[in-house]
Amino acid sequence: MTDLFFYIFSAVALISAFTVVFSRNTVNAAMALIVTFLSMASLFVLLEAYFLAVVQVLVYAGAVVVLFLFIVMLLDAKEDKQKKISRISTAAAVIGFAILVMGVVAIQSSPTLAEASGGELAASQMTLKTFGNQLFTTYLLPMQVTGFLLLIAMVGVIVISKKAKQPQS
Amino acid sequence: MSTELLQQIAETNRWGAIYPELALGILALALLALEAVLPKFAHGLIPRISILGQSILLGYILLFDRSGCCSGEAFGGMLSFDGTGQAFRILFLATSIFVSYLAMVSLEKREFPRIEYCHILLVVSGALMLLAQSNHFVMFFVALETATVGFYVLVSYYRTSYLSLEAGLKYLVMGALSSAILLFGIVLLYGAGSNPALEGSSADPLNFSNLYIFLVANPTDMMAIIGMLLVISGIAFKIGAFPFQIWVPDVYQGAPIPTTALLAVGSKAAGFAMLINMVEVFEPLKAWMYPLLSGIVALTILFGNLAALTQRNLKRVIGMSGVSHAGFLGMGVLASTQVEWATNAVVFYLFAYMLASMAVFAVMAHLPKNDDAELTIDDLSELSKKNGFLGFALAVGVGSLAGIPPLAGFIGKLLIFVAAFQAELYGLLAVGIIGVVISIYYYFGIIKSAFFEAWTFKDEELEEENPGVPGETLQLFGKLAIVVAVTGTIILGFWQGPIGTWIAG
Repeated sequence: MTDLFFYIFSAVALISAFTVVFSRNTVNAAMALIVTFLSMASLFVLLEAYFLAVVQVLVYAGAVVVLFLFIVMLLDAKEDKQKKISRISTAAAVIGFAILVMGVVAIQSSPTLAEASGGELAASQMTLKTFGNQLFTTYLLPMQVTGFLLLIAMVGVIVISKKAKQPQS
Repeated sequence: MSTELLQQIAETNRWGAIYPELALGILALALLALEAVLPKFAHGLIPRISILGQSILLGYILLFDRSGCCSGEAFGGMLSFDGTGQAFRILFLATSIFVSYLAMVSLEKREFPRIEYCHILLVVSGALMLLAQSNHFVMFFVALETATVGFYVLVSYYRTSYLSLEAGLKYLVMGALSSAILLFGIVLLYGAGSNPALEGSSADPLNFSNLYIFLVANPTDMMAIIGMLLVISGIAFKIGAFPFQIWVPDVYQGAPIPTTALLAVGSKAAGFAMLINMVEVFEPLKAWMYPLLSGIVALTILFGNLAALTQRNLKRVIGMSGVSHAGFLGMGVLASTQVEWATNAVVFYLFAYMLASMAVFAVMAHLPKNDDAELTIDDLSELSKKNGFLGFALAVGVGSLAGIPPLAGFIGKLLIFVAAFQAELYGLLAVGIIGVVISIYYYFGIIKSAFFEAWTFKDEELEEENPGVPGETLQLFGKLAIVVAVTGTIILGFWQGPIGTWIAG
């Protein structure tokens, strides 16, 4: 049953990812990106990494894609004509694909990985509760500092983008 | 997870031990609150309050807490306190005070909001302090990103100037790239160190002590070596070392003067605080790391000095000379792997560099040109005649940067060279001495322009525009800051006193 779901979600993820790349309409591409993220989230659920799945939906499918859509609509991107594929992109694509194949072969032929796959998934212990416990004990200080990071980012955006008082002289 | 275990972890959260960082954070928030509460006409006071608060904190640390109140690890291994960390705290705090003062002067000239600048500056300084004392990659990365995000804002602060915006964009792209490289390195180290099949692995290999144990057990692990290379590259970006120095001239030129000073001193010192920690952690991988660092150091010294020769823009000269200073400091860090006191020599060099740079930047902030991105060496012409005080400060600052005895910069370079000699880094020593000789040329170009008359072409047809007098904006407060920087430079040159004994020990 899990295998079947895995193949379904993987297929959806792949198809929508190709749509993102090949779609001429930028809004359609952004929408297809949401589908990709959702099916990725489902794959995380299959791996019992529920927290990661929720974050994937909330942050990526939610915030990031909405940001993309905002920018697309603000810039009013038109459907662009098919550009000629430059030689360097072809080379990059070939090399990238070769590395991907090498990676798959390396994983397939790795002896240690075959042994390790019997063990328990590390992610399955990663429930929201343990995550919260860690965050408020061991990683309390980094979390507080992150708060300051967000604060100065916000203050900075306001300072840099608010309407300028014309400097004299 | 039981409550006892949670309590046990929470007990190591010794908030009292990080009181300087807490004080800076609270002061930063207080500035924003004051801006909202105080009436408009009192807003000019707020940057002064910021400087006052930081000075009180610095005074307290210098009087009562010079060698650090606390030692050992805290916050579940996130931070680790020692004497070097305390020295870096003092360095960052002093830098922050000088930069606040520079911001007060330069932002007043151009009517940009000053309170937010001081606020972000305080948060960045606090983050840099935490960075210097971090003992865990999570703390390390969070502190680094907090400082870097602050820098993005501070670099593009003159948003009406194209150069400043361009510098901000370049710094954003390059900073994001370097953070990505660093993070990838950290992830590889995590992957290697948490592999239960290997000896010495642990559940938390991001902790520096755990990582060190793992690396001792597996000094030839390929994944860890690549991780080390990437982490060192990411740090080299921050200090502007050779293959990663391309952002330096443009960003230094476009950024406002206070930000350039903060980048030149604070960011560089933070990079070296990281490097000193990392060199200790990666010590088992020395077969790979030492040749890499030696190459970086030699090329950085040569490139920085040669590139500075052709620059006429004042901030670009200082930027490229900063690259070469990074090389000398790197030599000290390399020496510290063999000679124990070399770490202290690096810290001393950083103090000398900070005082000298601040003197030079303070002089630059008081030059009459409105757009500080376009200050060239020619703008200094006859500075000593127009304003002897600024001329003298410039001479002391530049002289110390060049390493002219008896100023502090000379002692700093001498200590580093002696350490390198004791560590038997003869090749690097030769490169370093060649670098110093080259640097004399462009440093004295600056002094020559300020002290000796040069014939300049005057176009009679063009209307003489009144360029203004250097130092018009100089007030008692500003004089005090420059006097502190200059006397500090001179005194540290003659009398190292307690710092000297600290270095020898």
